[in-house]
Amino acid sequence: MTFDFSLIFSSIPKLLSGLGLTLELLILSSFIGLVLAVFTLLMRISGRWFLMAPAVAYIYIFRGTPILVQIFVIYYGLPQFEFIRTGVLWPILREPFWCCVIALSLNAGAYVSEILRGGVLGVDKGVLEAASALGISKSQRFIYITSPIAIRLSLPAYCNDTISMTKATALASTVTLLEMTGVARTIVAQTFSPYEIFISVAIIYMVMAWMLQKGFGLLEIRMSRYLKATAG
Amino acid sequence: MSEIAGWADDFFWGAMVVIRIFAVSLVLSVIIGLIGSAMKLSGSRVTQAIVNAYTVIFRGTPELLVLLLIYFGAAISLTAIVQFFDPTVKFIEIPPFWAGAFAIALIVGAYMTETFRGAFLGVDPGHVEAARALGLSQFQTFVYVRIPQMWRLALPNFGNHMLSLMKDTALISVIGVEEIVFVAEMATTVTSKPFTMYIIVALIYLCITTVITLTVMALEKYANKHLASSR
Repeated sequence: MTFDFSLIFSSIPKLLSGLGLTLELLILSSFIGLVLAVFTLLMRISGRWFLMAPAVAYIYIFRGTPILVQIFVIYYGLPQFEFIRTGVLWPILREPFWCCVIALSLNAGAYVSEILRGGVLGVDKGVLEAASALGISKSQRFIYITSPIAIRLSLPAYCNDTISMTKATALASTVTLLEMTGVARTIVAQTFSPYEIFISVAIIYMVMAWMLQKGFGLLEIRMSRYLKATAG
Repeated sequence: MSEIAGWADDFFWGAMVVIRIFAVSLVLSVIIGLIGSAMKLSGSRVTQAIVNAYTVIFRGTPELLVLLLIYFGAAISLTAIVQFFDPTVKFIEIPPFWAGAFAIALIVGAYMTETFRGAFLGVDPGHVEAARALGLSQFQTFVYVRIPQMWRLALPNFGNHMLSLMKDTALISVIGVEEIVFVAEMATTVTSKPFTMYIIVALIYLCITTVITLTVMALEKYANKHLASSR
């Protein structure tokens, strides 16, 4: 058993071609997930039961089941119904790429809304009381006072969730998508040298996770400037 | 609904496999987490560097990739080792159950290490000093003073790790363990009712994760009993 470096160098271009698809999956589903999360959060904290109940059910279902099963239900499961196969959404639901985007977005939406809720609950009550004493309306309070503080508070957890999302995109390889893990699996199937290929891919994923962590770290420092100003 | 009836026993045994993998990798990951956090808090630079590398690697790579690497990699390594002694051996396959349980334990163990480390740091140093003053050995202090106080602090995160461990078990179908996702795949090829079958899988997972969540809630209540009564 030898470690074949020439194989690594020859397969790097192929692996990087899969990186594009991985990033597409990550960026699209993070964005859609974030939008979903904000809506879910607003429903969750609205205080009206007919808005809260669907939001709670959505979060409960998507946090309680594996992403792999969610992808399978959407990609393999939905075509069981005649109306899906003849419906307008079929061109989208037929594509494994969009099925993965849907599953990952729904999943991210459930997790991120809980993270944001933690941020909203972490906002100091005194600040909000001060705002209402100043006569700022409820919606203005939410937009100008709660949101900026809540976003900063939820940044570390959101960073972790984005890293989990990066790792979850690897699951797209199970529905025939050739993103980075998918490409690696085809190369391993041809050459049967799992160590060289899988470790190279693992390093690329780790670099991505590291860059996300550094990026969010910088963002957090920038958003915490006001804390330093009061301390100094 | 008649399609489901024929597959009920397969789903039941599949669920048993899931629970067995969960149990095995939970025990392994707790052991890894305890050893890892002890090494991280040992103060020795070498052990700290080893554990840091371990947690960075296993928290930064996709679970699926770790699983594939361990399953295929271990098979190749083991074959090479055996061929060294007996060149007639063509190929050795690792039991996918153990490869899967071990891979998941390594991943979740990395998270457990960080959680346990934080919890150990949360134990009042005065208690550890008191234990030493009473003449307890390092090991006794660890078992009788640190762990009983640490697990209460670790519990909320520990619960989350248990949930992600349970959800990671779904990946093991990829390497051919006959758990519920695998059963659903087989059932789909026979009945061509994929939605029904995968929704059953989702419901089974939802039931198990609900039970875990409720258990952790009950444990947290039990662990914080002394705080509630003192108020």
